[in-house]
Amino acid sequence: MPRFNFWTVVMILTWVMLFVLLFIPVGSVLVSSLYDQSGNPTIANYLKFLGEPRFHQAFINTLVVGFGGLIGALLLGSIMAFCVSRFVIGGGRFVSLLAILALVSPPFIGAYSWIVLFGAGGVVRGFLRDMGVNMPPIYGVGGILIVFSLKFYPYVYLMVSGALSNVNRSLEEAAEGLGLTPLQRTFKISFPMVFPALTAGGLLALIHAIADFGTPRLLGRGYNVLATEAFTLYSAEVGSNMSMATTISVVLILVSMVFVLLQRYMSRRNVYHGNMINKPVRIKLKGWRNVLAHVAVYFIGLSGAMPVIISVIYSFRKTSGPVFQSGFALQSYERILFNLGDVVRNSLTFSLTAVALIVIVGTVVGVLVARRTNFNTALLDGAFMVPYVMPGIVIGIAFIAAFNTGPIVLTGTATIIILSVFIRRLPYTVRTTASSLRQISPSMEEAAISLGYSPFQAFLRITVPLIVPGIIAGGMLSFVTAINELSSSLVLYVGSTMTMPVRIYLLILDGDFGTAAALSTVLLVLSGGAVYIAFRFMGRNEQALL
Amino acid sequence: MTSITLRSLRKEYNGQVAIPNLDLDIHDGEFFTLLGPSGCGKTTLLRMIAGFNSIEAGTISFDDVVINDRSPAARNIGMVFQSYALFPQMTAAKNVAFGLQTRNIERAESIRRVEAALESVHMAHLKDRLPGEMSGGQQQRVALARALVIQPAVLLMDEPLSNLDAKLRVEMRDTIREAQREAGITTVYVTHDQEEAMAVSDRIAVMSMGVVQQVGSPAEIYRNPANRFVAEFIGKTNLIVRDLHQRDGVTTLDLGEGVSVDVTSTIAPGVSGRVQVSVRPEAVRAGGSGLQAEVVEETFLGSHSQIRARLSTGETIEFLEFSRRASLWERGEKVVLQLDTEMLTYFDAETGASIMQGAKL
Repeated sequence: MPRFNFWTVVMILTWVMLFVLLFIPVGSVLVSSLYDQSGNPTIANYLKFLGEPRFHQAFINTLVVGFGGLIGALLLGSIMAFCVSRFVIGGGRFVSLLAILALVSPPFIGAYSWIVLFGAGGVVRGFLRDMGVNMPPIYGVGGILIVFSLKFYPYVYLMVSGALSNVNRSLEEAAEGLGLTPLQRTFKISFPMVFPALTAGGLLALIHAIADFGTPRLLGRGYNVLATEAFTLYSAEVGSNMSMATTISVVLILVSMVFVLLQRYMSRRNVYHGNMINKPVRIKLKGWRNVLAHVAVYFIGLSGAMPVIISVIYSFRKTSGPVFQSGFALQSYERILFNLGDVVRNSLTFSLTAVALIVIVGTVVGVLVARRTNFNTALLDGAFMVPYVMPGIVIGIAFIAAFNTGPIVLTGTATIIILSVFIRRLPYTVRTTASSLRQISPSMEEAAISLGYSPFQAFLRITVPLIVPGIIAGGMLSFVTAINELSSSLVLYVGSTMTMPVRIYLLILDGDFGTAAALSTVLLVLSGGAVYIAFRFMGRNEQALL
Repeated sequence: MTSITLRSLRKEYNGQVAIPNLDLDIHDGEFFTLLGPSGCGKTTLLRMIAGFNSIEAGTISFDDVVINDRSPAARNIGMVFQSYALFPQMTAAKNVAFGLQTRNIERAESIRRVEAALESVHMAHLKDRLPGEMSGGQQQRVALARALVIQPAVLLMDEPLSNLDAKLRVEMRDTIREAQREAGITTVYVTHDQEEAMAVSDRIAVMSMGVVQQVGSPAEIYRNPANRFVAEFIGKTNLIVRDLHQRDGVTTLDLGEGVSVDVTSTIAPGVSGRVQVSVRPEAVRAGGSGLQAEVVEETFLGSHSQIRARLSTGETIEFLEFSRRASLWERGEKVVLQLDTEMLTYFDAETGASIMQGAKL
């Protein structure tokens, strides 16, 4: 039985891979948090976490930005979803595009663009001051929340608009027939049906908010969260404290885990109802209501995409050193070409290698999970949950903890960066492959077998061509995530393995925004191209970006 | 030409017995139908013949060669699925050609056979369409062509018409019958629709709970059902309970109200006491002499009406009447029901088994 052997080998290799890339790093984090600096077992780190006001504050701040991001994203996302799915909005596809732009741009770019506009020396703030209006600079928790709301609202928007446009109109009509007023209908019929989508989208925003490192780092100005504390403790040149950094990582994993489990629970409840024969129609609004709806949608959409627009514009501005001059030039791009070619090359090679690995391994394991259902595969499916709950900064610290010494030393190599991206994104491919396989009727392969093909030939000739477009699309979306990854790379990079996001982050810290903007624009073009290819392969499906 | 022989066949799912012990002989070139309600084991049996289900005990033979351990690919079967199972990325012609590709058939020959197969199901004009661009009926025609083109030893069909609407079902079953006759392939057909089974089959096996209740031609199982289950599942019938009386070697059935039937030569010897009488709707006629009844309801169906009447015993009798009268029956109207005693069948009141002469007791 050669087929049995093949899948057994895959199963064993998958477990080995998970063990090396996941369990050892996570275990190392846990172990490291239970030892003091001189190597004695202790729970002092956790006592310190509980005892020190600095860590209390970071914990509370993390929850504040998490729930603040959730509320902001819910507010913006549901307004936009409601308007777009229920009213006729001119340029609806353009609005969706704005939401996608916000989603695929790296968050720290958002943070910096808002500083450019509303920071201490911000353009808009300066302009307003000249007009006699004084507003506080955007730094601190307020700024973080604004950026998170505008960055993460697309999660809510995409989930809720999906749910809203699939609510069977007959249900609302039935309620109307039973004598409910429009307001009652909204709250008793439509709202309960989109509630799971609302919560699932909001929690997704929260999970990303508490894992985000770049935004609080650039905008916080002393407003520290767990992710920034972990990085500070790890990277401090004087008094670097690995065991405290890992302790905070463990706390961050636990917090993240709670919300990921909650999010998955809500997503499962987010099932669209029945055969959508009777889809809701969009109402054409008149007068001031129409104006209001358009203003709301475009205000949210353009604000969300503002960082992207700002980066693109600034990337073409004339500069003298790091200082902007009036007029436009290609100086920033020239600098990339002459000085930063290796960074672009690094980003491309790392991302493409990681994506190739993700696609190959993810597909094979996805087939395993979907087709060989037994206790082992169920356990495997569960193990693939773990990377979901690991914020990038924690993955970075975990890889350092695991591969700095011992049998496998990888620190400072390109391999460690590629593997960290690989393990984080692998579960998405495994799950999408498995679910698309489950949707293909088994009688299709049986038909091929009945026509004289072996089961393996049937799989290769019938099933594989059907799932390949989805796999390519998934690979493209993984590429977007891979090439924009900042937080784990920031922990793992050395001079020769610097990537574009890391370089952008450092350029922003150095105040060289022209080059940062140009590099961001390159990043954006690459991401946009990947999303375009993905949509070409699977149809325009914004839901896949979630 | 292939005959199929099933001997002492047993199927279990996780310790649950689906088919306890089954024997069947399917003849050369025959259109054989497995008929029964859902969950009776008919699809399970078909998939065992195809090789997609394991066999726990017993043997399946094609032409007296046991094929238990042959893979589905090696059994030379053509299969038509309920869900069509057309390959969505291939056109109609490519779907049909798919089975020929693995058989090393010359290109020109392959093209000729694909065209002939599509022609036989009247789909030649749509050969370049993708499955997504075809209706359900068209997809099922292509699926049939795909199964036939490889000239299989056995054609297996698993409820091929159940996803189609009523009118298309009638049209398609003629196509299927025609194509099967032309090719002369031994065919095993699974359905839960008794009318469909009657229309297409040479012989039918009626199944219930994994057990074959009766095998016979459509007329045989309709006119002489082996038990009450078959009588009720095939067509419509009225069941009433009556007593047998024996006197001087003559057995009579007392239908009540002075009407009795001499059943000495119809009922198996030695049977006595209470029996169940199956009265087909077409064995009942209003008028003449017979049993007193009262009309409960008439359902007008155009060419004929379906009338429900209550006997003085309280039992309900349904019968048919061609629409010749100007007016419909009134509720409560008195009617005399004459029964065609030649068409009655009898079952044991306890076991439900047939007690007709010649029936296996």
